Amino acid sequence: MKILVTGATGYIGNHLAHTLACMGHQVHALVRSSSSKELLQHQNISIFKGDILDKESLLNAMQGCRQVYHTAAKVGVWAKDLSVFYKVNIEGTLNVLNTALQTGVERSVVTSTCGVIGPSLNEPMSENDPRINGFAIDYELSKKMSEDIVLEYAKKGMNVVLVCPSKVYGPGNVSHTLTTNAIIDKFLKKGIAFIPAPGTYKACFAYIDDIIKGHLLAMEKGNSGEKYILGGFNITYREFFDRIRNISCSVGHIVQLPANIIKGWALLQQLNYKITGTPPYFTIKSTDIFFSNYTFSSDKASRELGYTITPLEDALKKTIQFLNTIHHA
Amino acid sequence: MHNKYYCLITGASEGFGKALALECAQRKMNLILVALPGPELYNLASFIRRNYQVDIVAIEKDLSNEENCIALFEEIKALQVKINMLINNAGIGSTMLFSEGTIQLYQKQIKLNIMATTLLTRLFVPALEKNSPSYILNVGSLSCFFFLAKKQVYGATKSYIYFFSKSLRRELSSEGIHVSVICPGSMNTNTSIILLNKTTSWLARQSVMEPKEVARIAIDGLLNRKEVIIPGKVNQCFLLLDKILPSPIKKMITNWQMKKLNSKKYEQIFYSPVLPVEEVISLTA
Repeated sequence: MKILVTGATGYIGNHLAHTLACMGHQVHALVRSSSSKELLQHQNISIFKGDILDKESLLNAMQGCRQVYHTAAKVGVWAKDLSVFYKVNIEGTLNVLNTALQTGVERSVVTSTCGVIGPSLNEPMSENDPRINGFAIDYELSKKMSEDIVLEYAKKGMNVVLVCPSKVYGPGNVSHTLTTNAIIDKFLKKGIAFIPAPGTYKACFAYIDDIIKGHLLAMEKGNSGEKYILGGFNITYREFFDRIRNISCSVGHIVQLPANIIKGWALLQQLNYKITGTPPYFTIKSTDIFFSNYTFSSDKASRELGYTITPLEDALKKTIQFLNTIHHA
Repeated sequence: MHNKYYCLITGASEGFGKALALECAQRKMNLILVALPGPELYNLASFIRRNYQVDIVAIEKDLSNEENCIALFEEIKALQVKINMLINNAGIGSTMLFSEGTIQLYQKQIKLNIMATTLLTRLFVPALEKNSPSYILNVGSLSCFFFLAKKQVYGATKSYIYFFSKSLRRELSSEGIHVSVICPGSMNTNTSIILLNKTTSWLARQSVMEPKEVARIAIDGLLNRKEVIIPGKVNQCFLLLDKILPSPIKKMITNWQMKKLNSKKYEQIFYSPVLPVEEVISLTA
């Protein structure tokens, strides 16, 4: 079967493209630059140069495809021009959906994020829980608005399912500095990890293989117009890094930083950007995301899709092994 | 259940009402949440039930219909619960030229903002008196102090709320019922407003507040028996400036604001999801 994957050079999209190709599907990968070819080397993957903001290229890539996985998005907490979040995540999604309707795609899965649901209180959040705080981050707001569009299209009859991964880690991309992978990598190489103080804030750490399986299950069994959280283990940052330290037998330091220090750090980065033009990793208004619980329940996906979560120990072992090999390469 | 006190919040499923519900739940108040029919109300109620140890009753009602206000009162009476706090939050906002609004919209707005608040207050006052000390919080708006273009009907309904609350306070304080009115400025209540708020002028952005923060100030003010609650330093400044500036300067500002409203520059930011989806689907079907 011909299947389009947007964002095929991104962390989730790339894994997904390879998984589908290995299953024998003809994968159409939409990529912005041909320099990313090496990321997509597989006989079953055809590269289509284009952009979700360029409808012509999208139409060309989607021709003959029966399924679409829309994983492309502008991610992060900062951009020189913030409107790019809205352009890519809202207009891009609209283009993908419209083209899918136009070319007769049978079913689409759109990747959103648990960031749309937002921080949690004592209990892990579910799909329908109300958001308890505002949308300080443009990424989260733009993804929320793109979710609303997907649900609107589904209501009008389109066959489309939403999936919301939580914090993803595992073998693969370590390019972005704020990803869990990059932080684990730094912990292994430099022996230091900065976590928000107190270390008791919880996050939902999801293993990449589970996330990919979750996408396939959503395509296979998901109900159109429904959204599924694809999560993992809800544990504290402290516990997460303690486990990594134990498994990797390292002597890394876990340093807890209070809110004021992290805010000060953000301020310095913003100043540095003004002077040297180096983009900040995070901004002052995005620091609140470090000082809340972000726990999520994957119960709906487990119940309705048969989603499963890899034991933490196994997932961490594989991740550490992977990061160590690229380290020594 | 019969010995517990409850706080009744109207328009509780979204925006400021949702923030008020969460704030009250955090303060361990039992809640009766009233909102338009829809899943949001039950989602919120189930979320609060799971995360806070409080009792929740969720009731679906469209309060712009007078009969529904009376039906709500009867339903709550039948539940035999004690109410010691009434928050009249349900309301319809609007920002449009007078000629752009329909008669139906204005009727509904006046019925919900004015009539429902008046009726529910009248109906629940005897119960509140019995359960005193008790509280009534009415939700006004900063726009009841400023005569803004595009806010004629809305601003007028909120002026009613302001007058009503201050006057009623004088009557009811001897009965142990404390009436407060909150007058918030812009709040980040839904996605399109948040996006709009992100794109307005610097000064306007400074006055925008998160519903969560305003809700905290509201309940603090209510419990401290404040008469008028103006959340936010910037909004308080606006009010002060309004009092001290001479009227010709205010006129200039209003004219300038009017010009800006007419330029329609902000409408470009919206990527409207209203697309010919049905057409496309009918093509592929």
